Amino acid sequence: MVDQGSSGAPRVHARDLTFAYEPTTPVLGGVSLDLNGGEMLFVLGANGSGKTTLLHLLSGGLKPNSGSVQLAGQAAELLAPRELARRMAVVPQSLDGVSGVHVLRFVMGGRYAHVPTWGSPGAEDEAAVQEALEQADASQFQDRMMGQLSSGQRQRVLLARALAQKAPTLLLDEPTNALDPEHQVAVLDLIQRQAQSGTAVLVVTHDLNLTSQYASRVLLLAEGQVAAEGSPEEVLRPEILTPVYGSRLWFGAFPDSGRPIVLPRGR
Amino acid sequence: MSTRPRSLLPIWLLGLSALVLLTLGQVAIGSTGRSTWAEALQAVGGVLGWGDPLPGADQAIHELRLWRALCASLAGAALAISGVYLQGLFRNPLAAPGVLGVSAGATLGATLAILLVGGYGPELLLEGTRSWTPYALSFCSFLGAVATVALVLSIARGPGRSDAATLILVGVAVNATLGGIFVAIQALVLDDWAVAQAMLAWNFGTLRDREPYHVGMILVGLIPALLVIPRAAFALDLFAGGDTDARRLGVSTRSMRWMVVAVASGATACAVSAVGAIGFIGLVVPHITRSLVGSGHARLLPASALLGALLLPTLDLLQLGLMGRAVLPPGALTALLGGPFFLFILLTQTRERSW
Repeated sequence: MVDQGSSGAPRVHARDLTFAYEPTTPVLGGVSLDLNGGEMLFVLGANGSGKTTLLHLLSGGLKPNSGSVQLAGQAAELLAPRELARRMAVVPQSLDGVSGVHVLRFVMGGRYAHVPTWGSPGAEDEAAVQEALEQADASQFQDRMMGQLSSGQRQRVLLARALAQKAPTLLLDEPTNALDPEHQVAVLDLIQRQAQSGTAVLVVTHDLNLTSQYASRVLLLAEGQVAAEGSPEEVLRPEILTPVYGSRLWFGAFPDSGRPIVLPRGR
Repeated sequence: MSTRPRSLLPIWLLGLSALVLLTLGQVAIGSTGRSTWAEALQAVGGVLGWGDPLPGADQAIHELRLWRALCASLAGAALAISGVYLQGLFRNPLAAPGVLGVSAGATLGATLAILLVGGYGPELLLEGTRSWTPYALSFCSFLGAVATVALVLSIARGPGRSDAATLILVGVAVNATLGGIFVAIQALVLDDWAVAQAMLAWNFGTLRDREPYHVGMILVGLIPALLVIPRAAFALDLFAGGDTDARRLGVSTRSMRWMVVAVASGATACAVSAVGAIGFIGLVVPHITRSLVGSGHARLLPASALLGALLLPTLDLLQLGLMGRAVLPPGALTALLGGPFFLFILLTQTRERSW
């Protein structure tokens, strides 16, 4: 189910994005991507390949040196932060400085873009927060402080805040990093349900095997360029991954689904 | 549900009643002696036009005490709320109005005015100076504060230097420079006792010989700071996770930062230009309030203003009660309390980080 939206334009339409923190060392050298409602696009790449920079460019945290980002046909740079937040929610990899914040109040932060500028959160916002906490399996810690949570619990609360934002596009930066295997699949199941109900999802990750099982499309970045794009079966192949990740990989397949397995191979 | 704070109305009523009582207490008790509650009430009524004032000089003495009391509580409120705004914005519990150089700038502005305009005297005024000199002094102080904030912000706003830590470091550097200029000027005029004393009064604040226009001056800064609470409170909560995170949630971080810096430095500048630099309130009161009502700004901002309004009059009455007269300038009172408290914050903060 791929929803093109009423305007027919993709939810996220990025063209020829280039970016450099310092002029001599470009981080991204002309990346283009489309993200549609209902799909789960996984962005892979070695450390330093520009994955997180790409996420910052798509979410407006950084301005590209050249190229453009359009959200449902509108130039992202022209949207006010409030309007941007109603269209796109971002789950950061981690967040500093919030350990003294109550979980409930933290998740309420996702409602900022929906609350009138001179108003305060109302019953509708509280309902959205409760719903998001339940979806992310985080209701049980809503009365704790952020600093009292384990990293896995924290990750679920970060996800809950993004869900409370009720945006049609969801960007996640390594959402399963801090999670045990059970919660990794639980979180990706939840994200998949969001995609199935029409949300456009982009996941930045290092986890090739979760990518294999959950991605509807894979984008492989290498040295700031798109090295490959396609289905997990098309991208997670030795001849494509070896130039990016090196040769110390083992390739196999899940016995039931036939989807690829890629494991690091020790000596 | 627990996001709906339980009603704080009783606490607010208690706090406001305490404020009224403190004010009346300050009208009744002064360095020149004590009068009864009834006399204090009659004097206040006289000011408001609700009945006959006290006879003769009695009314004037009580009025002077009333302006002193109002200056103390309103300046306390202004400095405290500025502290909450700046701490929230810069994600730094040690940020205070002094950090941006507001207090130092205001003090230097007043010092230069004392030198150039000549508005100095037993406290801030010499007898025989022209009638407009006190206003000129306040105005120069305000200009000094605003100019300093503008300087700090323009230095800190350079490319890639817009984060909170840079702003605080620039503030520290500018503060040190202004402090040096202040000491240099003081050293030059040390021979002139009256001038040196007037400058000292600005450096540690003064509540003596206040007039209605001083009260009005503080209100000019305090009222906007109170009015923007509903606009800024939720956004300030989101600054906890950093500027990028706040922007992703929909906060127009740049305009919010300007608005908060403007109202916070405006409130501090107005307060300092009316009563001189009174340190530590902007640091101490937000911390006490945070431990009472939590870190949500919708409650923290107004509660800090109230607690700030209670603190300075309480300290002032305490020293009147203990020593019989108001010997210590308010800045010395708050520093005696604030210095040790500063250390306490540093010690407990390390514990929080190790969570």
